[in-house]
Amino acid sequence: MVNLVEGKQFMGLCNRLWFVLVFGLVFGGIHCQWDTAWASSFEFRQDAASLEIDVVGQELIQTARLDQASAKTGVPEEKAVSKNEKPFEDPEDSEDWPEDRSPEESLFPDPLEPMNRAFFAFNDAAYFWFFKPVGEGYSVVMPEVLRVAIRNFFTNLSMPIRLVSSLLQGKIESVGMILVRFVVNSSAGFLGFEDVAKQALDYPVQDEDLGQVFAFYGIGPGFYLNLPFLGASSLRDTVGWVGGLYLNPLDYFVEDWLPNLSIRAFDMTNKASLRIGEYEALKDASLDPYVAMRDAYFQYRLNQIEK
Amino acid sequence: MIEKYRIRYCLRLSLGGFLLMVMLAVPCFAGAPTDGVKKTTDRILAIVSDPALKGPENKGKRGQLIRQAVDERFNWEAMTKRSLARHWQKRTDAEKKEFIALFGKLLERTYLDKVGSYSGEKVIYVDETIDGKYGTVTAKILTHSQTEVLVCYRLKEVGGDWQVYDISVEGVSLVNNYRKQFNSIILRSSYDDLVQKLRAKVAEKD
Repeated sequence: MVNLVEGKQFMGLCNRLWFVLVFGLVFGGIHCQWDTAWASSFEFRQDAASLEIDVVGQELIQTARLDQASAKTGVPEEKAVSKNEKPFEDPEDSEDWPEDRSPEESLFPDPLEPMNRAFFAFNDAAYFWFFKPVGEGYSVVMPEVLRVAIRNFFTNLSMPIRLVSSLLQGKIESVGMILVRFVVNSSAGFLGFEDVAKQALDYPVQDEDLGQVFAFYGIGPGFYLNLPFLGASSLRDTVGWVGGLYLNPLDYFVEDWLPNLSIRAFDMTNKASLRIGEYEALKDASLDPYVAMRDAYFQYRLNQIEK
Repeated sequence: MIEKYRIRYCLRLSLGGFLLMVMLAVPCFAGAPTDGVKKTTDRILAIVSDPALKGPENKGKRGQLIRQAVDERFNWEAMTKRSLARHWQKRTDAEKKEFIALFGKLLERTYLDKVGSYSGEKVIYVDETIDGKYGTVTAKILTHSQTEVLVCYRLKEVGGDWQVYDISVEGVSLVNNYRKQFNSIILRSSYDDLVQKLRAKVAEKD
């Protein structure tokens, strides 16, 4: 008897807890508004980065001086100079440009430049001789609506990469959005072909990957890599990309290499067909497309990481 | 006694509600920088979608009108200064002038190419910050393939007018990108080589 009563009370408590838990999760999930500042190590990282820049900068000044003193070779010390570069000092109107206040001068070495440049030329040729014509032919056959739907499907499929990456970064808000997006888009969005969550709930795609997780834990980009077919990347992001392969459900659904590779190629062509013209624009506007691409990649990743 | 507290409580609640409403209303006010960017963008969009200016025979006229609108908003000198950074001071006045003209032309042309392929994208102004005489305006561009592109304009107030001195697209700043390129070319060869390359680039399409 006593046991029963106690059991009842226990069950009642359990029920109440359960209710609170579910309510909290649902409410929190819908109104993901709580403060996640604790999860962004941005401020801390900025200090660390500036400190690192100072140390590296000092070292580079010293090495540059030593180099100059010992032998006046014609080899340009590009990195050494660019890092100590005072962003802009004009004696006439020394202006305090707002974005120069935080030192975020590039720490993106490129020791494999000859190899990267070779692959850059290779990718350039591959784009103009293969991907662009194929993509253009494909977009003649496929209307844009369908291509967008296919892109959405593959984006929805690769949800685990984003989920794991946001979880590892402790971005609770993103995790909630990714889960809601996946459930809504897989059901109401016909297996993800339609991005209902974006249209109805205004939940955008959360751009997270393992490279950003590494960055979150303070790992720098390493050095620049330009890989054949894959394009601009860095050591850190390449490792993240390889890790992401294991998180992509596609590899578990389609295990044979030939169909798997075909599906990947299809996904790539589809994506490329929606982005024709972007590379040409970059190439057209730049004086050294290789340097422009390298810096654009660096800035783009920095922006993604900070988000 | 209880009644008194209840009234106070009600007052506090209503005051809180009022404050909340004010706080919600504040972001709706757009400031001068957004106005400036919006004015120019709207003007260019009007030129691009004007049926009287469509067609290849009107290309020259259209380009000229757009160039006029862009020239008023963009501060080419500030852009060049910031792109050349520490190499700027070493230049003579004539060199500076020439570089501003060339670089402005290159940027203008890039912008024209971008606008030329306009096909009904929507521009939404999301955010604005003002810090003394500097400001930023963030806009979201919705393309027809359902992609969102975040564009951030950096502006500076010059004589009551807000002028753009940098644009970043998805976090990639135009000025920073050119700074890296210019720096790399100058350090590898020379300033003259850079000017030559720039000249060739500008002449490429004219």
